[in-house]
Amino acid sequence: MHKKMAFSFPDEVLEHVFSFIQSDKDRNAVSMVCKSWYEIERWCRRKVFVGNCYAVSPRMVIRRFPEFRSIELKGKPHFADFNLVPDGWGGYVFPWIAEMAGAYPWLEEIRLKRMVVTDESLELIAKSFKNFKVLVLSSCEGFSTDGLAAIAASCKNLKELDLRDCEVDDLSAHWLSHFPETYTSLVSLNISCLGSDEASFSALERLVHRCTNLKTLRLNRAVPLDKIANILRHAPQLVEFGTGTYTADVRPDVYSDLAGVLSSCKELKSLSGFWDVIPDYLPAIYPVCSKLTSLNLSYATIQSPDLIKLVSHCPNLQRLLVLDYIEDSGLEVLASSCKDLQELRVFPSDPFGAEPNVSLTEQGLVAVSLGCPKLQSVLYFCRRMSNEALVTIARSRPNFTRFRLCIIEPKTADYLTLEPLDVGFGAIVQYCKDLRRLSLSGLLTDRVFEYIGTYAKKLEMLSVAFAGDSDLGLHHVLSGCESLRKLEIRDCPFGDKALLANAAKLETMRSLWMSSCAVSFAACKLLGQKMPRLNVEVIDERGPPDSRPENCPVDKLYIYRSIAGPRFDMPPFVWTMDEDSGLRLS
Amino acid sequence: MGRPTSSSSSIDSPNHFAFSSTASSQRDLTTDLRLGLSISIAPPFVRYLFFPIAYGTDAFTVHNQKIYIFREQWPPMKAAVAEEEHECNSSTFYVKVYMEGIPIGRKLDLLAHESYYDLIRTLEHMFHTNIIWAEAEMDRDHYEKYHVLTYEDKEGDWMMVGDVPWEMFLSAVRRLKISKC
Repeated sequence: MHKKMAFSFPDEVLEHVFSFIQSDKDRNAVSMVCKSWYEIERWCRRKVFVGNCYAVSPRMVIRRFPEFRSIELKGKPHFADFNLVPDGWGGYVFPWIAEMAGAYPWLEEIRLKRMVVTDESLELIAKSFKNFKVLVLSSCEGFSTDGLAAIAASCKNLKELDLRDCEVDDLSAHWLSHFPETYTSLVSLNISCLGSDEASFSALERLVHRCTNLKTLRLNRAVPLDKIANILRHAPQLVEFGTGTYTADVRPDVYSDLAGVLSSCKELKSLSGFWDVIPDYLPAIYPVCSKLTSLNLSYATIQSPDLIKLVSHCPNLQRLLVLDYIEDSGLEVLASSCKDLQELRVFPSDPFGAEPNVSLTEQGLVAVSLGCPKLQSVLYFCRRMSNEALVTIARSRPNFTRFRLCIIEPKTADYLTLEPLDVGFGAIVQYCKDLRRLSLSGLLTDRVFEYIGTYAKKLEMLSVAFAGDSDLGLHHVLSGCESLRKLEIRDCPFGDKALLANAAKLETMRSLWMSSCAVSFAACKLLGQKMPRLNVEVIDERGPPDSRPENCPVDKLYIYRSIAGPRFDMPPFVWTMDEDSGLRLS
Repeated sequence: MGRPTSSSSSIDSPNHFAFSSTASSQRDLTTDLRLGLSISIAPPFVRYLFFPIAYGTDAFTVHNQKIYIFREQWPPMKAAVAEEEHECNSSTFYVKVYMEGIPIGRKLDLLAHESYYDLIRTLEHMFHTNIIWAEAEMDRDHYEKYHVLTYEDKEGDWMMVGDVPWEMFLSAVRRLKISKC
């Protein structure tokens, strides 16, 4: 064989070639070609992505990739967003920071999602990494403005501080003043999640003034409308801007100030914020609308006519997040005005009301699917749906890659025929051959899972709630969906059989979440014993699972593959099933 | 309309997972009336699901049995979107509860409780301890088993829980703290 071929290229040449390969998937593939490529690749990987922080230990990552500059970690499962994961479950970032602080003084970027970040972790970051540049915390919690003050004070080269959707203990708005007067490198700041308490406007203004490279600024609700003009005046180069509260007494001077300063922002492509918006101030943004590609109105409680006017000014819109106040009529206007639309999210304004409060139905989604040729990602909350509509949507928009439909009332049937929506979702998976993410809702039998198992070959993430009749449903998905990585299920009659019969499949996936299903404790123990490379976690706030009969269903089950073995930071209501006795008490 | 229980032979487990007892053989249909909640997926599955508090009041009926949905868990939206913080008809009021020695607080919906007794019971369950508040009786010889419950009011002062009427407490409280005796 041509063994010498592998050594005929100097390592440096291969390294140079690899430097053009950025995606993790490609890098992973490269590392599996042969041992020498594995070795070369691991020394030159600069960005590490860990999709489940418990799948591997920090030490293992550091050992394999000695010179990375950027790390992305994800903690809790997705259903934690909907309060299904009890507080204290885990996802602590501190052990990672502690290991990296020792090994990597030159770490530059940390991106975390759904992790618990303490002030201690933030202080350690501030102290340990001299060239620290990027901190993105997405849906994280556990820290306060004290931790942010430490970052502001010490990270001289900080470029990006993004706290999207975090829960921050707002102790003091003055953390912003901890950025030294000499600090000017900020490019992106997102503090939209911070509390409604009094903010330090002058510190914010001065910061914006001296950071001339600032491209992204997302303010929080506390910043009043009349202060925005002052802040924006210093940042005409902004590309992405999130307003604070968008309400004020209607005053001509405030309005013209705002309109004037906004029209001088020639690079603006993305707008968000708009808390408490009053329609009178909306025309102030019209001058920038023609260049907008992204608009987030999910906090804007304005009615359809105002939304329609706004949307008609934005012909280049690619991404729209909006409340269902837009109604079917507004979505029809969107379909005819915004031909570049790629992503649409429509949220419910009154999710808990018994009766619909707005006229938003399946028709709106049909209109957008028919009218927007580039639409590929949708998240849509509505109260009624039909198979006919879903089939129309699937046929007209086969380029969907993400399709998430939430019919608000669980188990709602096709409103025209009163049948399950199996055929409709079946059409979605059949026609949309590149579908990577799907969320189901409405009345669904095992048949829909048969369609999914048969057609959804590129599906990577599936979310299921209140659906199916039997284990057959789960079996179809686990045995048919070749690309499946994440499966999350709640309130479905899936039990032991499908899970145990497809145990090997679970090692090919990142994770499986099942809550309020019918999986017994005995099956969990068996799975844990037979599959040493899976962590089988039983989450049950009722007390130890062995205090109930073995065939009793567990409350919540989280199974994920791991080469780090069972974790040791579990709270009292989480048990890992392992090879020993099947029960480890924390 | 009845649905047959799971019985498809195409997914009978291979021998090394031979496993005879499954949840479908469980015929116990009693519900825990004292705690007032029951969830039925499909007969004869009956799950025991009890939390000391009923978070939600939404319910729908399937197979003549009521299924409760916990409000903060359905529909699946992050709490932040379209939050109606300042609306009077808001049906939840979350406060953070910190226990001395534990840096991560837990969230609790005060409006899901009807009285101090309700609240104390929840907290004792959540934090696995005995709670002292204004109306508690304590075994003075074993004070180390007790924790004291205080709350921070709108002025930033820390007060003993239980001194004022429940409604007044709800309008004043910002967060709770459980400290060692």
